[in-house]
Amino acid sequence: MSNRLPWWMGGILMSGLLLLTFSIYGADRAIGASTYVPYVASLIFDLDPEKYSYIAHIKNSGSWEGVMLLGVLFGGFITSVFITKSFRFSLIPTAWKKYKNQSVLSRLLWSFFSGFIMIIGARLAGGCTSGHFMSGMSQLAISAMIFGGVVMITLVITGKLFYNTKGKN
Amino acid sequence: MADVIFVVNESNTTVTDRVFQMVENVINMEHGSVALVFLIGVIFGGIIQYTRVDKFEKIAGFSMLKDTIIPKMLFLTVGLTSIGLYFMIDAGQAHYHVKPIILQGLIIGGILFGISMAILGKCPGTGPVSIAEGRIDVLIGAIGGLFGGLVFTLYYDDFFKPLMGESLGNSILTDFFSGNEETTALVFGVLVIIISIAIPKLELFDEADLSQLPDDQRANKT
Repeated sequence: MSNRLPWWMGGILMSGLLLLTFSIYGADRAIGASTYVPYVASLIFDLDPEKYSYIAHIKNSGSWEGVMLLGVLFGGFITSVFITKSFRFSLIPTAWKKYKNQSVLSRLLWSFFSGFIMIIGARLAGGCTSGHFMSGMSQLAISAMIFGGVVMITLVITGKLFYNTKGKN
Repeated sequence: MADVIFVVNESNTTVTDRVFQMVENVINMEHGSVALVFLIGVIFGGIIQYTRVDKFEKIAGFSMLKDTIIPKMLFLTVGLTSIGLYFMIDAGQAHYHVKPIILQGLIIGGILFGISMAILGKCPGTGPVSIAEGRIDVLIGAIGGLFGGLVFTLYYDDFFKPLMGESLGNSILTDFFSGNEETTALVFGVLVIIISIAIPKLELFDEADLSQLPDDQRANKT
């Protein structure tokens, strides 16, 4: 068995999964993957939903995505062990070493910082790559097109400024 | 210590109790059984892992314009789904779940999201897949994300909600072409599929992954 699927096969399968999730025979909702983060945070830190309106606001979506997340972790683990054979513990990506630096501490600090602002950003916009880009744009939503455009532009500008790619292939 | 900073639930539950509560919430909703929702997650994680789009080399690689698998697969997914979904909704087999146009939230949030996606090389959907394949740096990113979620929750009413601004409605593209909804949806879908095919295919490989495979299975050789 091949250890990876081509992009077009991935697109077809992902489209099938989105349609199944949207369908009334499936979950009758969109796939999202950022509401679970503040929801799981509220479970871990035991926040009182009566005190914080946001938890009450995201209770349903957060729970749904929380259960989906458990599936994602399971599916990702099984696939990485048995199919892609890419399971291994690592602290720093190969391309980070090539285009940024060799320091594990630098990678971990930047990871923590970027994880922090990523969730603030996703919750401000009300969605992420899954909820806005894939599910939102598939519904022709204007909100998703604005988000997608801003993210694509910012992503490429950040990549240019943050990494040192000059003279490296 | 913690309860000095924020208000915790008074009904002394453990994390396990609260996770069971989460599952119970899903049982009480009409959005698929717990098994189906879990299965959707398994397939989602499986597709992302099997296509390798969770990799730093794919997402950060795209930010450096050295890898285009992410936009190609994303646009193809959107193009196919938009056409399928339009006809499903038309036939009453699905519903719209459109997010509001909160302009400030979308722009400020999109900028923060784009910056962090380039640096972390993951997004909230692909991150867990990387953690499941042993990436410790992404786990640290997820812990940062949990604190981001905590801060967002704590200051939602006072700071973040006003920052997001008012909603300008839930418009979709076809609203601007009334009378030609079907054509608009089809043209959009086909156009996006053409874009996905037209984007030149660039790939940045990770030698650390390739070196674990037999020579004839290395993706850069096939």
